[in-house]
Amino acid sequence: MSRAKDLVLPSMNLIIMKSSPILRQLRMEEKLLRSTSENWCIINDGTSDPTIVMGVSGKVQELVNVESVMGDGIPVIRRFSGGGTVIVDGGTVFVSLICNKGAVPGLQPYPRSIMDWTGELYGRVFGGFGDFHLRENDYAFGSRKFGGNAQSITKDRWIHHTSFLWDYDVKNMGYLKQPTRAPKYRLERHHMEFLCRMKDYFPCRSTFIERTIAALSSHFSVTLIENKTIIDPSNTKHATSTKLLTKQELEATLSSLHENPTVQQVLL
Amino acid sequence: MAWRRVWRACPCASNAIGIQRSRMVSPLPHLRLLSSLLPLSPPPVRRGLAPLRSYMRVGGFSSQAWVDVPTGGVVEVPLAQTGEGIAECELLKWFVQEGEQVEEFQPLCEVQSDKATIEITSRFKGKITQILFTPGDIVKVGETLLKILVEEDHASLASECLDSETTLNSGSSAPDSQGSLFNEASIDGVLSTPAVRHLAKQHGVDINVVHGTGKNGRVLKEDVLIYVANKGIGTPTPSYGNTEEVRMAEGNKLYINAENNKGYEDKIIPLRGFHRTMVKSMTMAAKVPHFYYVEELNCDALIELKAAFQNANSDPNVKHTFLPLLIKSLSIALSKYPILNSSFLEESNEVILKGSHNIGVAMATNYGLVVPNIKRAQSLSIMEITKELSRLHQMASNNKLTSEDTTGGTITLSNIGSIGGKFGSPLLNLPEVAIIAIGRIQKLPCFDADGNVYPASITNVTIGADHRVVDGATVAKFCNEWKTLIENPELLLLHLK
Repeated sequence: MSRAKDLVLPSMNLIIMKSSPILRQLRMEEKLLRSTSENWCIINDGTSDPTIVMGVSGKVQELVNVESVMGDGIPVIRRFSGGGTVIVDGGTVFVSLICNKGAVPGLQPYPRSIMDWTGELYGRVFGGFGDFHLRENDYAFGSRKFGGNAQSITKDRWIHHTSFLWDYDVKNMGYLKQPTRAPKYRLERHHMEFLCRMKDYFPCRSTFIERTIAALSSHFSVTLIENKTIIDPSNTKHATSTKLLTKQELEATLSSLHENPTVQQVLL
Repeated sequence: MAWRRVWRACPCASNAIGIQRSRMVSPLPHLRLLSSLLPLSPPPVRRGLAPLRSYMRVGGFSSQAWVDVPTGGVVEVPLAQTGEGIAECELLKWFVQEGEQVEEFQPLCEVQSDKATIEITSRFKGKITQILFTPGDIVKVGETLLKILVEEDHASLASECLDSETTLNSGSSAPDSQGSLFNEASIDGVLSTPAVRHLAKQHGVDINVVHGTGKNGRVLKEDVLIYVANKGIGTPTPSYGNTEEVRMAEGNKLYINAENNKGYEDKIIPLRGFHRTMVKSMTMAAKVPHFYYVEELNCDALIELKAAFQNANSDPNVKHTFLPLLIKSLSIALSKYPILNSSFLEESNEVILKGSHNIGVAMATNYGLVVPNIKRAQSLSIMEITKELSRLHQMASNNKLTSEDTTGGTITLSNIGSIGGKFGSPLLNLPEVAIIAIGRIQKLPCFDADGNVYPASITNVTIGADHRVVDGATVAKFCNEWKTLIENPELLLLHLK
């Protein structure tokens, strides 16, 4: 019976990594999105070192405390998808979904539709472990965020990737500025009042990973792929737009910050 | 009105670029609208709309612009809807440039909306003639992104009504768009709405010769009327069909008034910047159940104290006003009633008692209403508050307030009385739970303890509060506390650290 069911479900390649550097993961995702035509799920259980990951646009000096970041040698990456800024480390679990348009029947290739569909997917993963909600574009227990999302939609495909806060270091949040663009439900709360840790709700990381794969299996025929066989992002033809900001680039933002500190925003 | 509904349901100008749509979208038959407008072609069958459509076709259009539609032409391509509630996107990069030949479905640019980057592909094969935005620009849904010179065999594609019902009924129209997304055409190079084109036809005017004063040279209704008035053009074309007769009667009336319209024209002001934000914030605030509490304050002591400060002041850059005293005493009262310095989380029914007294002060500037706040007023002296207020005022007047200045407020003061007025019913500055409007200080007769009349400086304050969080008794007690401090400012000394 399940075999028959598998025959009608689109296939999805699953990659599971542990402590892989986030820069490598993002570059790989960008390649898989742009250069392949298969569906993928990439799970990275923690990244090697604390790293700041910004969305595709946005000024570094507005999002990050550049001086302390430079002083402490924290890498800053600009990824290829939209969305906000996060600081990730060994306590972050990443789950990325790359799909062809039409892979999920009835799912329209728009940001909101995809976001809502993942909300339902993860609802099945977290059901029973906490008061899970998709709040605007975040995954939350109650009103506290534990998962941030970003997307990129191309001509024929889309990626939806999430960084889940299994655990986080309060000290690291200090590298990030209070964002000017924030979801309404945040209500001006600082990171400490706004976020929560998955580990306070879930027994262990492997349970989360298993349940995620199980939820995906109701939409896809999931096949585990050996990491070694994946295309190496460094040797393909097309350059990725994901980049690690250089020291010079960070320094340049510092000087522009001092010259021109005008950002206008009216309190809602 | 029926005529207008037809037009909307059948947007001949739906030449928008869309993201490659999933095949799951409801399959409506595509309309070859251009051919249907030519005098001799049969009316297309359109589910649910055929009878209305025939009015348009039967009448035909006598204006030159419609009969001699070019088979190829420059198409203005707007940013289409990219999802529910998305009103604008940031343009990230172009994949093409002016002068380049593009194929159907070729990626043209990448935009960002909130969390997603989205590739926009071309619906047409043709040559890019003009690119209207640069990376970093914010593009509203419906604004023209670029112009494409569509090749001859793709000209009819340029007028297809693609999935119009689905789009228009999706209930997700951008709140800021002016009219239907697909309502604008410029197949012959002039940008204007169908209604304006029809008006021009009624007056026998070639819209291409009318000078457009709207954005990007858009021809507006006023432009046509002014042109008609200046040229003294004759009666509009004869009517046909019931729906059209109603429309023509309107047209006649318009003509009669055209000559007298100069100086009486309406002016359209698109709301931008602070005004636009005000629309959003006040709409949200209106949903909160407010209640209002009004109290009178005797400001005699305040006036004396202010005069004393000013007399002792040697710094010409510092000007003492009432506000810092009101702010400091407000902060002390808030320490006793912290619920008035809080935020309400609707989803989880939680109230956050804010640790800092970040007191917002509403300021009317040439750019609009802004509310910067003074951070941690409980830790600042009256002098420090005076200086910070002055700094914020300076920044606001020059439109140089930073996001740090205008976010994080916990309660708002509106000194509307400095302009005028006694009472008000101010709207909350969400997510705060209280706002205080201070009226004009007036000299009014008062009775003293012995029953003698004396002149006193009285002001009325109106406290607006979120009744889901705060009740009347709490506000009354809080206000009494504040009033005592204002009317007896020597009590502030008790709180000096």
